[in-house]
Amino acid sequence: MNHSLIEKIKSFFTEIQVDLREEDRIVLTAKQESAMAVLSFLKDMGFNHLALISCVDWINENKFELVYILSAYMQEDEQYNPDRDKINIILKTKISREKPQFLSVIPIFKNAEPYEREIHELFGVHFVGHPRLTPLLLCKEYKIPPFRKDFDTRDYVKNFFEKIPFVQEKAKK
Amino acid sequence: MRELELYFGPQHLGMVGNFSITLKVEGDRILKAYANPGYLHRGFEKLMELRSWIQNFTLVCRINVVEPDSMEMIYAMGVEKLANIEVPERAHYIRSIYLELARVGSHLFGLWAYANMLGFDTVAQWAMYHRDLILDLFEELTGGRTYHIYIWPGGVRRDFPNGFKEKIVKTLHSIGSCVPDYNSTFFNNRLFVNRAKGIGTVTRKEAIDMGATGQVLRATGMKYDIRKVESYAAYDKVDWEVPIREDGDAYSRILVIRDEMIESVHMIFKLLEAMPEGEVYNRIPNPFKWTISNNDAYVRCESSRGELGLYIVSNGDNKPYRVHFRTPSYPHGLTILEKALENASIADVGNIMISLYVVAPEIDR
Repeated sequence: MNHSLIEKIKSFFTEIQVDLREEDRIVLTAKQESAMAVLSFLKDMGFNHLALISCVDWINENKFELVYILSAYMQEDEQYNPDRDKINIILKTKISREKPQFLSVIPIFKNAEPYEREIHELFGVHFVGHPRLTPLLLCKEYKIPPFRKDFDTRDYVKNFFEKIPFVQEKAKK
Repeated sequence: MRELELYFGPQHLGMVGNFSITLKVEGDRILKAYANPGYLHRGFEKLMELRSWIQNFTLVCRINVVEPDSMEMIYAMGVEKLANIEVPERAHYIRSIYLELARVGSHLFGLWAYANMLGFDTVAQWAMYHRDLILDLFEELTGGRTYHIYIWPGGVRRDFPNGFKEKIVKTLHSIGSCVPDYNSTFFNNRLFVNRAKGIGTVTRKEAIDMGATGQVLRATGMKYDIRKVESYAAYDKVDWEVPIREDGDAYSRILVIRDEMIESVHMIFKLLEAMPEGEVYNRIPNPFKWTISNNDAYVRCESSRGELGLYIVSNGDNKPYRVHFRTPSYPHGLTILEKALENASIADVGNIMISLYVVAPEIDR
């Protein structure tokens, strides 16, 4: 199953790097332009469960890496299929950190909506075509989105909380 | 009729946890619902990037307040996968027993929330009492009642104390003997059945489209359970069934939860019998100097609410470079809840939300 799947992916997409780890984790590294096509291809291949969209800030390379993790639900009235059920596909694609922007995958996976909202809020990545990129978890806007590596939490705590008048007075005593 | 905007939670009798929903209503009908999480956002994933591999356990178990044990498990699994650590056979069994106990405790807590919200105070008190019996077991095993930090990369922190097996059996028997009482006062009670049947229905197709796992999916008839699909710990060593229902409504979901509790108890008995002797812990490097080479991994397990995943990245440092938890309440509480509330009545909002088994801290992290 794994090897035929990998062959198929390689034959459809030429500029893709495939890496098989421990038989059940397939790591695909795709170019920005082909990532959407790969996702929709994988959905047609039966990997219809988008478990997670994550983002990693590779600040030294000046890139954000978007990570899509897919697995397969069971088919109608089907028994367990250990060959396919165990597989998790991890699709990675790097985007520029200067003007972070990517296409929304909501047309392919409906449940991508809150994940993209979260990444937009915490990393500042803009998703084109997303219907509501409103704040999800935070109550205010930050100059640097807080999950980026250059956001210093300790510095923020010092600047924010130690300037509260009550705390300042207490420190004087 | 006039359209109104109504705020449901975070301070509302029908709301369990720090979560709020904005409802657009016309009369008693809900036209549209918007979930507002974030009241418990503590930025754990960011904070974990500043702490060493072992220090993070104190943060991890606070992500899901109701069931911290599967959070420990997933983090330990992630670290083990990154660092290639083996776990002894006996530790696998102990982990499974421990996680199943936690699942029963978590379901009893969920039952408390559900019964309490609907006004079945007696059932709620029973459930809370029975959960307390399980917490007593945890206290004896680990020293802590709610947060245990018992699972550790490489195994578990210590073996079962003397006579602990018998105590587990005794406690589970005393809880199990009350199942008929729960059935007659709650699960088969007309007052409850009439309120829960046919509301908050999620069809199989909707569940698949919106990334449902756990009870929400199993209540639509799919036997999808990570313990079977991608077995971990000792779940493939004993025989057990995945309970399902077909209707996809709130009532099916609570019945799946009940059956799962009963199945977990049977599974614990089987695991206790099959448990081998031996070591429970493989030594890990000195935690203060422990670095893990460049790598990333996605691991998943079945928490009491559905698929719990962890994407973890290391860049060769003594701290994780990035951690991201895929918590089951995230799609349930944000995508599916908004869909399930459409066209519902205002009186059913709390009912639908609790039947979807949403825990707010898990969404916010």
